[in-house]
Amino acid sequence: MSPKAHSGWARGLTICAGAALTILMLDSAIHALLAQTPFGGPRPNAEPQVGGIVGWLLSKQSEFYREMSATIRAAKSDGSAVWTLLAISFAYGIFHAAGPGHGKAVISSYLVANQETARRGIVLSFASALMQSLVAVVIVGICAWLLNATAKTMCGAEKAIEIVSYALIAAFGARLVWTKGGGFMRALQAPRPVPAMALAAVAHHDHAGHGHDHHDHDHFHAHAQGHAHVAHHDHGHDHGHVHDEHCGHSHGPAPSELAGPGGWQRGFGAILAVGIRPCSGAILVLVFALAQGLFWAGIAATFVMGLGTAITVATIAVVAVSAKDLARRLSGTKEGGGALFMRGVEFGAAGLVLLFGVGLLFGYLAAERVTCF
Amino acid sequence: MRCLLGLLSLAGVVAFGVNTAQAHPHVWITATSELIYAPDGAITGVRHAWTFDDMFSTYALQGIETKTKGVYSREELGSVAQTNVESLKEFGFFTFARADGKKEKFQEPTDYYLEYKDAALTLHFMLPLKAPVKPKELAVEVFDPAFFIDFKFADKNPVKLVGAPAACQMKFQRPNDGTANAQKLGEQNFLNGENSSFGMMFANKITVECP
Repeated sequence: MSPKAHSGWARGLTICAGAALTILMLDSAIHALLAQTPFGGPRPNAEPQVGGIVGWLLSKQSEFYREMSATIRAAKSDGSAVWTLLAISFAYGIFHAAGPGHGKAVISSYLVANQETARRGIVLSFASALMQSLVAVVIVGICAWLLNATAKTMCGAEKAIEIVSYALIAAFGARLVWTKGGGFMRALQAPRPVPAMALAAVAHHDHAGHGHDHHDHDHFHAHAQGHAHVAHHDHGHDHGHVHDEHCGHSHGPAPSELAGPGGWQRGFGAILAVGIRPCSGAILVLVFALAQGLFWAGIAATFVMGLGTAITVATIAVVAVSAKDLARRLSGTKEGGGALFMRGVEFGAAGLVLLFGVGLLFGYLAAERVTCF
Repeated sequence: MRCLLGLLSLAGVVAFGVNTAQAHPHVWITATSELIYAPDGAITGVRHAWTFDDMFSTYALQGIETKTKGVYSREELGSVAQTNVESLKEFGFFTFARADGKKEKFQEPTDYYLEYKDAALTLHFMLPLKAPVKPKELAVEVFDPAFFIDFKFADKNPVKLVGAPAACQMKFQRPNDGTANAQKLGEQNFLNGENSSFGMMFANKITVECP
């Protein structure tokens, strides 16, 4: 068996074992959770378990949401109420994004898994929120406004899109796990002076000479030939990293390197997976506005809502990226182990994206449920 | 190293822990319910009247053709009512009954129709039990486990017993104020699948004791 084949086989095995272990752990955790509050069983403890912040968030967004219908009605006779509507929508978006279903977790995990910069995190957050708003407007615009379809039809479309979105997140996560699993495996192998592994390391060193050139070349390719090469590009990127560690300096890539040509295309998958699923609240608001003859106000409200959402998601994403940067700086002082630790964190974050997708797809995790009735 | 792990877990809590702030309700229902008894004193089912909020009523009426604009007859709303009861099946009609502690099942709804009045839709339906029961203690809860729908019973006459034996005593318990309840969210709601009972703390509970 050649070293290369061996490493591929081992990598696949480790990824499978890791995935199986995580799924098992998650499954038992869920069962434990469900067992805690069996349906119709003892009520949850009356003692508050979380500080007032969560409760406050929940009641605030509920309040803003309920005010929207009254404000849209008021806007029919009094144009200035539109400003109130926009203000409420903005506030609602900020609070609402703290709840599930707006890709905070997916985007943050993706950023951590992929050595992304905070700046890119902000752009990704805004782009996915914008896309989410756009999808909601397009659905209502086509189904309700153009085709005058019933709520049943529209909700069916929403459900279908939701499933596509979850599947995309799962696929996106699977790809991340595959690429990050490789990095993690190589980091695992690197510090161990086992003869078989040393062979693999030598093989890597052979590449070292032109590693960077190769990297740049891939960048160019991804840019010139579009999305098809994104996976390739990622691979090239990882390769460059491993090479860095082999040479003994475990600093991350410069931000300029990441923002280079084609770099943004990697984030496209994240934007698509998260942004394709519209917010059911936005759809209700849009249909209501349409029925009141104020569709444009509903559209404006939807985009302002998206802006608010983006701010919250971006904040969380920046926190996640900064935490990882700090972790990298702290662990960077120790040779070998630190790199392994960081690859492990990346692998874990990639695994989380996959778990989110799978969990959402099979209903273990509930985002905002699309209820058709 | 410990500091590092702490930092990472903090980031994790910020990114994922906020998920405990569950989805807020998107639909509000004002409900009244009647428990229907047979002449022999057995309970046969529950008759609900659920009034949807302004926004959802408008949403549900989207694309419904009518003879007179803004006026919806029972027949014109027939298809919507049918969609309603068919879809509600998936959620167990948000009605959960226990007779002397044993879970009871419901049949498909009968006599269902929608009524449009004052810009709001009201769904009426009778939910018969699989088999009539004559328990000492009956508990009926109405809530959405996922809390997409917020059920609030009407202020006046929320629950009625129809044809119940005279000795039966009915108690109705509303969920506490929503804000207080929301604070109870803890780690057990972290992974909140559709089967979990997050919304239970928002349950309306009817208990009938017949000695």
